[in-house]
Amino acid sequence: MIYLLVLPAVIMLILSFWSVNRSKYILPITSLLILFPSIKLFFLPKPYSIWGDYLVADDLSAYIMLVSSVVAIGVTLAVSTLGLHVKISDASYSRFYRFFAIFWIGLTLSIMANNMGIYWIGLETATLSTVYMIKTNSTPLAKKEAWNYMIVGAIGISLILFGIILIYASAKPILGEEAMIFSSLLEHAKEIKSPFLFEIGFAITSLGMFIKMGFFPMNLWLANIERASFYPVAALFSGILESAVIIGFFRFSKIAVAINPLHVFLFVFIYTVLTIFIVSFLIYRAKDFMRLFSLSGVEHMAIIALFWASGGVFAALLHFGAHAFLKPALFLSTGILESKGKYKIAGALKGYSGIKGKAFYFLTTLFLLAIISLPPSPMFFSELYGFGAMVEIAKKHQHLLLMIGAIVTLLVLLSIIFYKFVEVYQSMKYEGKEEARVVYGNEVLALVIFALSLVLLMTPWSFEFLRAVS
Amino acid sequence: MTSFLIGLFLATLITALFTMRLYRLILWYSLNSLSLALLAITIGYNIDDNTMIISGIFTLILKAMLIPYILKRVSLKFGLSRQISPNVAVHYSIILIPALLVFTFYLAEPITNMIASNTNFVAISISALFLSLLLMIEHKNIAPKIIGFLMIENALFLLETTATSGMPMLIELGIFLDLLMVIVIINLLFKQEEEVA
Repeated sequence: MIYLLVLPAVIMLILSFWSVNRSKYILPITSLLILFPSIKLFFLPKPYSIWGDYLVADDLSAYIMLVSSVVAIGVTLAVSTLGLHVKISDASYSRFYRFFAIFWIGLTLSIMANNMGIYWIGLETATLSTVYMIKTNSTPLAKKEAWNYMIVGAIGISLILFGIILIYASAKPILGEEAMIFSSLLEHAKEIKSPFLFEIGFAITSLGMFIKMGFFPMNLWLANIERASFYPVAALFSGILESAVIIGFFRFSKIAVAINPLHVFLFVFIYTVLTIFIVSFLIYRAKDFMRLFSLSGVEHMAIIALFWASGGVFAALLHFGAHAFLKPALFLSTGILESKGKYKIAGALKGYSGIKGKAFYFLTTLFLLAIISLPPSPMFFSELYGFGAMVEIAKKHQHLLLMIGAIVTLLVLLSIIFYKFVEVYQSMKYEGKEEARVVYGNEVLALVIFALSLVLLMTPWSFEFLRAVS
Repeated sequence: MTSFLIGLFLATLITALFTMRLYRLILWYSLNSLSLALLAITIGYNIDDNTMIISGIFTLILKAMLIPYILKRVSLKFGLSRQISPNVAVHYSIILIPALLVFTFYLAEPITNMIASNTNFVAISISALFLSLLLMIEHKNIAPKIIGFLMIENALFLLETTATSGMPMLIELGIFLDLLMVIVIINLLFKQEEEVA
């Protein structure tokens, strides 16, 4: 199974040494191969061992693997016309594919990992390969941001390892080397003799993950990096990298909840509310698509973490899936919207003609409105269920009024974001001059894949599956 | 012996914070890694843990010899500035570094109480982490930042050696492999900058 999971990435790695003009048309087809093992994972008895205790598939990893695979297919499809929107040399194009392949292998390891060490190794590999993907854009800004990513990403990843070591130290006296295994840790969480040490480890690991997702106080670093790099990098960040980071948070927090649920909730609640508070105002001031979508990504990841910590697992997973499909779709659209002049929001949706143009117009509008949780967007339902979970947890600990106050504050902050997106949409549609714009078939196809995935996410079968995970 | 080596580890790190020349900084990094490698081999020998001895040998070859050699080659090849003045003035650093050490010992006290062996070493590894972060923060040039990151890796290795008596071998190998990838990426980043120029 492991060979099948990494096969498309390995093919991409091999083809990256070949002529890019030919391989860029083959890769979207070979990337489809990932669907077979990803779908097969759903039908295998769980937990299913892929590689001993190191890589084990359960419902959560199967779901996140499928979501990431769809994103990888969509991005591979859209990358084939990257050269038509931006200036990129053949050598850089090949290197982009090479490091995309390494990134993909790293994240597959992280998503399927049942071992804290393997999870970290996968994440580190992905982080390092991203540095070079940022650098494929040869502007001075991209150069600066690649180094920034290298440094800040390394600090984030080091904090994660630091926390893992403390967690391992807390559980090693009772579990030995099995203290590295997520499932063993979860099973024996209550027996850990120094829960404080575990909680410190969890807090530091979470801090590292939060830095990687752009949470408080590192709110702008991701937006700056995504602005400086080519748009598929931002799509990969939001669709796959953040999926791998959040699955780590899910796994660590599940163990921490078994030790002390209230501590986890309070820690995540304070951190995420603070993040949303700052990010909502940053979104309000955003002046270009890339920063707008990037900051909105930070807001959504904070919401997912908050719902998860509140016990709203179904809401968190639904929100996660919707975000993982919507955000890469919007980032890929950005490449097309900005190809006639960067930072120009006014009139960005004008000038699309023909079937492909109209389809692009329709899908981009759909994604823009869906990301701000307009019904019937999956985000609308996930937020309803998520806030419901927050009320339930408040009832249990008898601080309902405080929680309602917090939810109202969150809704006010979310309404600021809602207002900004509506303003942007109206400006794109009604303001500015109309200029003829070009959209390519594979880009529309990538957006169609994301739209269909969103529709599938809303089916009763998906809901039933996500409820079973929780 | 272990106390001497850990003292040497901390001393090389503190000296690196005051260094203003790149090659000298690479040398301090190499000595820092050497003391770490000897520490891992000594602790591994004392507790009869072959995995830790192998990790120590890997550290010796990779971090004390290979990486400093590659870093020096890279800095020569790409003509990196050898003058690396820290942003924090020396007289402030003299106050800041001991304050950071004392603060870390105080901060790590509840954790060290929970770890059976090498309790002071855990506090030292956490302080090494903070000092390495300081090294990254106090320099504008990219090369000291890279060395700061590599020293963070050393601090984490010290923490895992002292707090957990070593991680499983496969994980250790993975971490070493990632470290090699860091060096490859750094080399590529510099190389492409040269191509663009």
